[in-house]
Amino acid sequence: MKRYNSGVSAELAAVDGRKHLNMDKMMTAICFVLLLIIVVIPIVMIIYHAFFNEGKLEIEMFVQQVTEKKNLEAMWNTLKIAVFATILGTIMGVFYAWLLGRSDIPAKGLMRALFNIPYMFPPFLGAMAWDMMFNGRSGYINKWLVQLFGLSSMPININSVWGIVFVEVSYYFPFVFMQVVSALERMDPTLEESARIAGAKQRQVIWKITLPLVKPAISAGALLILTTSLAHFGVPSILGYAKGIYTLPTRIYAVIYNSGGSFDGIRQGAALSVMLVIVVAAALILQNRILSSGNYDIIKGKSMRPTLIKLRGAKIPLFLLAILTLVLIVIVPLVMIVLISFLKAYGLPLEFKNFTFAQYQKVFSANGTIASIRNSLFVSITAGIICMFLGTLVAYVVQKIKPKGKGALEVISMLPYAIPGTVLSIGVILAWSGRIAGINLYNTIWIILVAYLARYLSFSMKTSSAALLQVHSSLEEAARVCGASHTEGLADITLPLIRPAMVSGFFLIFLPAMREVTTSILLYGPYTRTLGVQIYSLRDAGMIPQAAALATVAIGIIIILNTIVTKITKDRKGV
Amino acid sequence: MANVKFDNITFRYGTNTVLENFSLEVESGKIVCLVGPSGCGKTTLVRALLGLNKPETGTITVGERVLFDAKKRVNVPAEKRNIGIVFQDYAVWPHMTVLENVSYPLKKQRRPKDEIHQRAMHALDQVHMTEYANHLPNQLSGGQQQRVAIARALVVDSDVLVMDEPITNLDAKLREEMLLEIRMIQKRLNATILYITHDQQSALQLCDKMAIMQQDGTLCQYGTDEEIILHPANRFTFEFIGVSNFLPLEKDGKGLVLNCGEKIPYTDAVPKEAENGGYDIGVRPNDIVFDAQSPLKAKVDSRVFLGSEYNYFLSLGKKQIRVQQSMLDARTKGVANEGETVGIRLLNTRFYPTQKGGATA
Amino acid sequence: MADQIVLDHVTKRFTTKTLGDIVAVDDFNLRVHEGECFSFLGPSGCGKSTTLRMIAGFEDLTEGEIELCGKLVSSSKKNLYVQPEDRGLGMVFQAFAVWPHMNVFENVAFPLRIQKVNKTDIEKRVKEALHHTSLTGLEKVFPGDLSGGQQQRIALARAIVTNPKVMLLDEPLSNLDPKLRETMRFEIKALQRKFNFTIIFVTHDQSEAMAISDRMMVCDMGKIMQIDTPENLYNKPCNRFVHNFLGESTFINVVIQNGKAYPKGHMDQPLDLVVPQDAASEMVVATRPNEIALTGPGESGFVTHIEKRIFLTDRTEYLVPVGNQLLKVQTPHRVTFAEGEACAVHLVEPMWYPADDEAADKERARRQLV
Repeated sequence: MKRYNSGVSAELAAVDGRKHLNMDKMMTAICFVLLLIIVVIPIVMIIYHAFFNEGKLEIEMFVQQVTEKKNLEAMWNTLKIAVFATILGTIMGVFYAWLLGRSDIPAKGLMRALFNIPYMFPPFLGAMAWDMMFNGRSGYINKWLVQLFGLSSMPININSVWGIVFVEVSYYFPFVFMQVVSALERMDPTLEESARIAGAKQRQVIWKITLPLVKPAISAGALLILTTSLAHFGVPSILGYAKGIYTLPTRIYAVIYNSGGSFDGIRQGAALSVMLVIVVAAALILQNRILSSGNYDIIKGKSMRPTLIKLRGAKIPLFLLAILTLVLIVIVPLVMIVLISFLKAYGLPLEFKNFTFAQYQKVFSANGTIASIRNSLFVSITAGIICMFLGTLVAYVVQKIKPKGKGALEVISMLPYAIPGTVLSIGVILAWSGRIAGINLYNTIWIILVAYLARYLSFSMKTSSAALLQVHSSLEEAARVCGASHTEGLADITLPLIRPAMVSGFFLIFLPAMREVTTSILLYGPYTRTLGVQIYSLRDAGMIPQAAALATVAIGIIIILNTIVTKITKDRKGV
Repeated sequence: MANVKFDNITFRYGTNTVLENFSLEVESGKIVCLVGPSGCGKTTLVRALLGLNKPETGTITVGERVLFDAKKRVNVPAEKRNIGIVFQDYAVWPHMTVLENVSYPLKKQRRPKDEIHQRAMHALDQVHMTEYANHLPNQLSGGQQQRVAIARALVVDSDVLVMDEPITNLDAKLREEMLLEIRMIQKRLNATILYITHDQQSALQLCDKMAIMQQDGTLCQYGTDEEIILHPANRFTFEFIGVSNFLPLEKDGKGLVLNCGEKIPYTDAVPKEAENGGYDIGVRPNDIVFDAQSPLKAKVDSRVFLGSEYNYFLSLGKKQIRVQQSMLDARTKGVANEGETVGIRLLNTRFYPTQKGGATA
Repeated sequence: MADQIVLDHVTKRFTTKTLGDIVAVDDFNLRVHEGECFSFLGPSGCGKSTTLRMIAGFEDLTEGEIELCGKLVSSSKKNLYVQPEDRGLGMVFQAFAVWPHMNVFENVAFPLRIQKVNKTDIEKRVKEALHHTSLTGLEKVFPGDLSGGQQQRIALARAIVTNPKVMLLDEPLSNLDPKLRETMRFEIKALQRKFNFTIIFVTHDQSEAMAISDRMMVCDMGKIMQIDTPENLYNKPCNRFVHNFLGESTFINVVIQNGKAYPKGHMDQPLDLVVPQDAASEMVVATRPNEIALTGPGESGFVTHIEKRIFLTDRTEYLVPVGNQLLKVQTPHRVTFAEGEACAVHLVEPMWYPADDEAADKERARRQLV
């Protein structure tokens, strides 16, 4: 029945004649133009400016940047942090996934929900909280420990490479956890049962069968940790900046910031960006190698509940360990931020007499704050909506129209996914600060929006693509036979069917965009701070309790939004 | 309801000719099954009827209405052809309720609201689905979804109902039920149904008439199930619709022999054209009976009890043949044991010219 | 012959949310002999799969004992439960369960590696197992690149490589197409002859069970109905359920008068049957549509006519009135009667059962909901 599925739309197109073709052609053209503007131009601009100056090839600057000791050190740090965060985060994610997916640990449903929380928690706020507790000079818990045990120096210094690794692991391990839990759930239990029959002990089954089978899920999650960590700005900047520990993203920021936003500084940033992109690309290629050697389908057979492994004596200790982990990475930082937000001044002991609501008043009376919330809401919602439609359009063109060059289209739209947010920002600055057609968006909210569009387009394109694949062509054809025209079929059948995916694509963009700093930190102007940037700058200016107050508000907003999203997506389960 | 006439349809994908001058007439008020191996062009033909592709030559008429005529450049668009279709996966729209699904074709005809509701409910009533009117498709069983698809196809008083392998994804038991269901609905509505499948078994169970298509896209027989089973037009049909044994018949000196690795005299009457050999005798396993008097002897290799019958493999010379013995025969005449040599008689034999280069693909 | 698998008063109960307590397996007593091919047959929810999983050790039992090769492996009294890996079984699953991350050789070698067999022996034994399952040459291929039939052969090779005494087959052919199913059936039998293991074969397909088994057990609603050879089960079913489950059946309600059986509500003409001595006044006569001799009215038999003729693919079906009941008769195509034509039917050795029992039917329907 190959003939039936392939080329069906082409066949229909031939029957429909020119009208249909024109509409499809128009959609294809729109896709190419928009992707050119949003994605291709910024990337081309980075590469161009890294190697060219005023139209002439000038490689010296690039070489100088790449060989500068500080930058090499930053690259080394970036790699070290990313590699260790990935290894430790993967181990942690797999361990808890197995515990929840295969053992008889109590309160599974609740635990699964709780383990998703670190995923929502903005890592840079976590870093802030840990800095408050374990700052090498002034951390509250550090000070308390010194007092308690009469130590001569601070026992823990979170402002180190290992501190950064620790915080990143805490908030990135859910990437692996979520992938592996769902893989375990879909796995055919007889694969494991047959190993038991073959004589393998439970422990051998885990090592020889279960883990190798979920390897694709593990490496997909691990790659996500790796690329995210490589590109991440918030945590290393909060924990490392003051101590002179740089990673490539924070170094790029520093170079531009120190140059006062001059063109030379931006060019140097572009050169560093190329370095970062090379590192990320290497990671992606590595992942491809690993994945392609074992891509297999483990979802088949009658679904049966897997036999759960009895933990026996280890049950309660492991349960407590899991709870402790959650408390440590979610509750403790949260409590810390809230407590600090009530302090009259940072550094005062955490005692009731030092508490006040004044910080909240101050934060909200400062005009920057309300504006930053408004800015974040505006860019996140706008980017979400535009990406939702644009991503769906690209997905439709790629999946259903299948024009010549559909491969290129797909690659271009997925490209920003692999490009760090910092790098994208530089590209956007280079492209839209008056150098092309005199369009200057610098210092306006629009430049942040354009960067968000590029950054998040792949999210909505992915979800819409998956949904469109589910919509079998016969559904639209059935509408045609029932008397609907091509456009009507699209409007009545295809669009409503992928609407839930479009909506979840929107939230997939809206939620991270709300708490984003990495991209906007390079793009904000005096009046265009985002929520993340505002918290970051308050803290940077030493107004830590105010930053904490705003962070508390931000976390509140994120929790409320997440609850709404879960509600909405649950209600749509029927479709 | 109306008849459907395909006349001289030719269809090509690039240089690949799928159908060449294909003609077929489907009578009104009948279930006609279009059967053939996958890739024989049956789906292409149906898509041409629906207006989802465009043949190179020929005409398609439904009743008095010309839907397609290559010469006169007539090509009624898909949405105006008034043909109901039930797709392989039913294509019931999952975001609409049962009633909305069935109402959709009427909405597209811009009918008044009252009429839409009344006619949709009537269509649902015909397939006994009124109580599910407000359900979403994912709350229904596969069988119920099929009924919704049928109701949707029928609601606009379609001239013809096309069903494209609607039951292939179901297990054997449910398949049986669905076939009965289609049959009952057809009886009630006296609909013309064109049913496409590659599964000859379900086609034979369902159809009033059956059109068998060969791999190369030609029509090899059109008739009732009984005509096709009792009088298969050629070797392809004979092989396609059931289990078969073929024994090569050759001339050896004066008499005829079966060439089964060794030459075994064959003394039963043969039709005139086969008198000089060069023919294969085709015989069904249940048309071979044990008879001690018969001169044709074979050795029993294996016997398997299958419940309703015994299944034997016999060696006739060096050739293995398959025999089915009904329980009635087994009980009244006894069974043959493994290793035993028995006499067999071939009943209902058919003669097909021996093909050069071995068996059919 | 020694008993290789013994089930002694095995019972499995569990609680469901909707229907309360369910006795999935109710007091099963069973002895499977060495080298036997024994099938568990029954509709879904009859307890066959649960029983197999208890034998394999994936489920514990509520009451009773299971013995494998003379060794007690499960016992409620002694609180004994041997882990599946220590039961020394071979097992093949419906969904193949071959490991996609290992190639064919590694899949089959796995049980030997677990047993720490030395390298040369592994190579030799895997080679032999692959040879017997016609997989030679595919050692380096990954299962994902093979067809369903080949994957099931890997599962078979993996099961035989340790030379187990008992082989559990859990609907191993259900995921294969009908043609392949038949070939695999022959291959399993051939392997059994070669390696001489005892087979427990679980299926819901009665013709498959009959073709492969030496003996079989038919169960329904968690109870054993009958255990016997396929021919005896088919020819002498102990009740109406077994009769109906093992093949197409046709029933006539009869009234016994003066030692003759009349179709219920039609006392004009008796059926030409020898009524058993112990028959009650009302009985059900059960036979199979293809075991009824359909002849011209001159021959011996119940004289009637053809009510309806239905042309089926491999046989012709006639509906023949017997009093006011319709008897289903199936003949090869070469026996032809026209609708309305007079004829005689003769039932060959039918079964006699007590008149209808509706209570059992209701319970069965309830069970189907589980």
